[in-house]
Amino acid sequence: MIPSIVPRLIAKPEFGPFVLFIGMLAVFYSINPAFLSPLNISNTLTFMVEIGLIALAMTLLMTSGEFDLSVGAVFGFAPVLMWTLFNSGVTSLEVGFVIALLTAALIGATSGWFVTRLKIPSFLVTLGMLLVVRGTALYVTSGFPQRTWSPDGRLLADILVGDFYIGPFRLYMSLFWFIAAVLILHYVLTQSRVGNWIQAAGGNPQAAIARGVNVARTKMGLFILSAVMAAFAGIISSIRTLAANPNSGTGYELEVIAMVVIGGTALTGGRGTIIGTVLGILILRVMRNGIILIGVPGLAYNIFIGAIILGMMALHSGLERRHQGGS
Amino acid sequence: MAQPLVEMRDIKKAYGKVRALEGADLTVYENEIVGLLGDNGAGKSTLIKVLSGAVPATSGDIYIRGEKVSIKSTADAIAHGIETIYQDSALVTQLSIARNLFLGREPVKGARFFDRMDQEAMNAVARDLMARVGITKDIPPTTPISSLSGGERQAVAIARAMHFESDLIILDEPTNNLGVAETQGVLRFVRNARDSGHSCIFIAHNIHHVFQVVDRIVVMRLGKIVADDIDPKTTSVEAVERVITGLEEDTPPGIPVAADA
Ligand SMILES: Nc1ncnc2c1ncn2[C@@H]1O[C@H](COP(=O)(O)OP(=O)(O)OP(=O)(O)O)[C@@H](O)[C@H]1O
Ligand SMILES: [Mg+2]
Repeated sequence: MIPSIVPRLIAKPEFGPFVLFIGMLAVFYSINPAFLSPLNISNTLTFMVEIGLIALAMTLLMTSGEFDLSVGAVFGFAPVLMWTLFNSGVTSLEVGFVIALLTAALIGATSGWFVTRLKIPSFLVTLGMLLVVRGTALYVTSGFPQRTWSPDGRLLADILVGDFYIGPFRLYMSLFWFIAAVLILHYVLTQSRVGNWIQAAGGNPQAAIARGVNVARTKMGLFILSAVMAAFAGIISSIRTLAANPNSGTGYELEVIAMVVIGGTALTGGRGTIIGTVLGILILRVMRNGIILIGVPGLAYNIFIGAIILGMMALHSGLERRHQGGS
Repeated sequence: MAQPLVEMRDIKKAYGKVRALEGADLTVYENEIVGLLGDNGAGKSTLIKVLSGAVPATSGDIYIRGEKVSIKSTADAIAHGIETIYQDSALVTQLSIARNLFLGREPVKGARFFDRMDQEAMNAVARDLMARVGITKDIPPTTPISSLSGGERQAVAIARAMHFESDLIILDEPTNNLGVAETQGVLRFVRNARDSGHSCIFIAHNIHHVFQVVDRIVVMRLGKIVADDIDPKTTSVEAVERVITGLEEDTPPGIPVAADA
């Protein structure tokens, strides 16, 4: 049995990203041991879990054959909305938080409606939504960052981003939210009936509809999930950095999609992996951190990211073809 | 003869100006395999698409066990026990055999809230079904459809129809693009399905395949049924070919035959 396990592991879409990640750790550590210092690990983890939350939800959405370009805009908009409500005295911070998440759900539902009812490709719908949401954030703030108030000791702040030390590691509560999201979404995708519908919706929607699967409702739910996760991540980030900038999150949509596809989820849908996405998140964030630590100019970052994306895509398509070749 | 399972009466279908069906009647009895033959463009696919909910008829009625039904979508047809098998199109190639078999009707294990699929049960049923349709090779039920051959995919689709007690399984040219062994496999699956109590409509251009498997032959020409009770055991292939092309004795010579598509 042992010999048959090795080729099976190698054929998994997560295998390539895993090897790449281990390789990166080895290279960065051998050039600069400070790379694995508690301080550096803590710093890298902090933002990684925030953008990672978006990538996890995007994994399910992309498995269903759609994607969402408006997540970066929602990431910026949701905290602006929450702080504006709070600063103007309209609501408490907690109520503002809930309203911001509900607004995000509405944004996701709107995108989902355009995609599933009007049958407009999600690329166009969510591009439009990106402009509307980002534009709204800029307009209501006149482009200026919102005043934020130090929320220390507030229950909401403690729950979302309270920090604590485990040994020398400074960790934030957001790490637990991230881990919880990984476990839940991995379970949903691989074990639940909804997970089967998500994969079928992306793989062969006609076949799924013929079997009575409600593809439109499944996709709608995932658009809502993706927007709410982006809002949640934006608010966590905003409370941690004590900033609500209407421009924050710009370009995150592409970084998130890169994380998801590097991990082995198909851009065209039908196949997705949460474990792969976790590796994709680690790879991109560790790469950004590592190349600076080893002295590569930060401006060269995109060259490496582009090369990783191309390399991983070649690997995944090779695996896919070998798979199909078996027929 | 047994009870009529499905009756289609005076079905008409126009695609714009093209009159694909001009009042076709088709009856399928319980526990029989009907071979539907006809030249290219005769209207075979259109007729079964009306029955499977893929296209709406312009007019006409459908009865199942004597009761009038309205079939507006593929899901409607499946709910009425009518399952159509097209090459490939009905399966999700990325998903496993077992996940495809149960797509949309996955059994749940444990509390409903957790929505957990009972994958062990699904795999066990899948293994059993694959053996029942006659797949002798040991293919694990977790194998994705993408690594199955065309014939094996047909087998999965037929197995699904059998498991969910579809009364009528429609196969439109299921043996196209299949090799000799695979074709024999599909013909065997169809016979197995009939022997376990299902009815089938079998469309194929290869008249010899049809002769090997069906109980009764129905011939269409130019949107109409022109013969509906040909017994393959007592009729020659040549005689049926004459009916298909419109050259049988009751048609006066000189009448144009169905145009080739
Ligand atoms: N979607 C469509 N739009 C317009 N005309 C159509 C359409 N589908 C079928 N037709 C026409 O309807 C007639 C019947 O077609 P149909 O596909 O039912 O024939 P068939 O008997 O299945 O032929 P074949 O053996 O070639 O599959 C043909 O004249 C065809 O051109
Ligand atoms: Mg046809």
